[in-house]
Amino acid sequence: MRIVMFNQDRMGVVSNDDTVVDITDLLARYNPLGPEDLLPDLISHFDDLRSNLDERLTAGNGIPLADVQLHSPLVRPSKIICLMGNYREGTDRPLQVLDLFFKSPEGISGDGDTVVLPPHQADIFHHEAEIAVVIGREAKDLGTSEAMDAVFGYVAFNDVSARGLGRSDINSFLGKSFDTFAAFGPWIVTRDEIPDPQALQVTVDVNGERRQDYETSDMERPVEELLTYISSVTTLHPGDVICCGTNHQGLGSMQDGDAVVTTVSGIGSFTIHVKDDHARSWQRGVDTAAGERVKAAARHPVGARNGGATS
Amino acid sequence: MRLVLTADNRLGMLREGGVVDVSSVFDDIRYRAAADRMPRVMAELENRRSRLEALLERGELEALPALLSPAPRPPKLIAASGNFLEGGIGERKPQDMFLQSPDSVIGPGSEVVLPHHDVTIFEHEAELAMVIGKRSKDLPADERALDALAGYTCAMDIAGHGLGRIGPSRIGKSFDTFTPLGPAIVTTDEVPDPQDLRIALTVSGEIRQESTTRDMEYTIVELLAFASSYMTLVPGDVIMCGTQYRGPGALQHGDQAEMTIERVGTLAVSVSDARRREWPRGIDQDVSARQRAAGTA
Repeated sequence: MRIVMFNQDRMGVVSNDDTVVDITDLLARYNPLGPEDLLPDLISHFDDLRSNLDERLTAGNGIPLADVQLHSPLVRPSKIICLMGNYREGTDRPLQVLDLFFKSPEGISGDGDTVVLPPHQADIFHHEAEIAVVIGREAKDLGTSEAMDAVFGYVAFNDVSARGLGRSDINSFLGKSFDTFAAFGPWIVTRDEIPDPQALQVTVDVNGERRQDYETSDMERPVEELLTYISSVTTLHPGDVICCGTNHQGLGSMQDGDAVVTTVSGIGSFTIHVKDDHARSWQRGVDTAAGERVKAAARHPVGARNGGATS
Repeated sequence: MRLVLTADNRLGMLREGGVVDVSSVFDDIRYRAAADRMPRVMAELENRRSRLEALLERGELEALPALLSPAPRPPKLIAASGNFLEGGIGERKPQDMFLQSPDSVIGPGSEVVLPHHDVTIFEHEAELAMVIGKRSKDLPADERALDALAGYTCAMDIAGHGLGRIGPSRIGKSFDTFTPLGPAIVTTDEVPDPQDLRIALTVSGEIRQESTTRDMEYTIVELLAFASSYMTLVPGDVIMCGTQYRGPGALQHGDQAEMTIERVGTLAVSVSDARRREWPRGIDQDVSARQRAAGTA
């Protein structure tokens, strides 16, 4: 099933003929305070709602996708957890220690939205396409055998990133938390539609030119392991999202006027437009230097620590 | 005004060591859980001040009940990196901040549960925290920024070191129970000069951290301007202002950690560890020395 948010604050499911069926009224019984509650409520009560949803889909009368305005299917998740460097990227180095950061959930954008580059003097702004896992229930200390049951579905994600801000002596991730920099789309597909998240292709095209193009089989730690580890640290809630990291080979700039298309096989494509009031420009095409820096850093891991080796 | 959330889900104002129930002033606020109630209450705090002050004056005083954190599961939990002059002189380092898991928040009198993960040490960091009351973006770095605040509270930013690979450790700081916040949201009128507050932390009666917000590298309003230049701040957001590194030490099973910030309050928690790991008691001189040498968080 494909779940969307559309036309401001409506929730819908997309039928096989690519029409959107409105299901917002089915969620009224859970007393949402606002559109941000619709997804967690849908997820929490999905089994109860399933037959209603199927009835709506069968009844049809949906609006063609081309005639609705889509938004991010995640309106305001309570946590956006992002993996740092979770792809091998053509190196044969030993497994890196797992690390993660949190991205501001105020910064959401979706299909057709504009990512606004801030005036801050970043070295460059990069796209980072990823697959993201939407959590299906409250979860803590998930065991290996139950981890995938805690997945509601998957969504395509772009971790838009400003480089070179913050301190020079520590890697700053705050440049990923600017408003509009968390791009999700075009919809959430339920888990049953993706039998193997380690068998997907992720691509980015900017103004029609291919940039990132990688397989999730190259992921260092698979989704199941991310779920067990992350849930051992923090309690996960329905609608929380774990973004599985990017393969940095193929990163490129995002600059004024660009149309950036993020695609994940089995999920779909979404487009974000880039606006920069300062009309800064960078080289177009793939930022190979950035890719090389990531590979080099992986051979000489930053901030190597004694002990505490965790998986 | 000093706003608290009681363990039986009532809103109160602190007065003379007790509390006055002010739930009736916020009767109209729809909510589904404490986590979405408190931001809505905080957004209304200043608007309803005269009703609250009247109730505070006339209302029945009850003995202080068990409290929850007044900022449970904040929309954003933001930490300032470093941000204390560690006795070094020279140019200020650029500002930086990072987000932690909102699920790490616990309230006064709660238990910090050390997780089973292998760490080099668990440490405490006593910090002043500010709680946002108004949706804000691009705040100015002057006293006008204080209008965006609902108030201040105490924060213990607890960290497990030796996890992850790039510091500061978001994993190590994001364990459930690792961010005690409370006991109250203290409105800005009660804290005329937030840049002149003593912060002290004791562990099982022994002094560990003693600092003053005079030593903050970046002031409250500079932190607000910086954070809001990146992200829209929303009611309920918490920004922790950083800690002084002379002083952090280990936390281990059986410890009682208590911090006090002048005018803002006292926050106490206990510590448990199923693995019963032991570290030397007292101040961790290694980490203090390293921070002073590097001048980094």
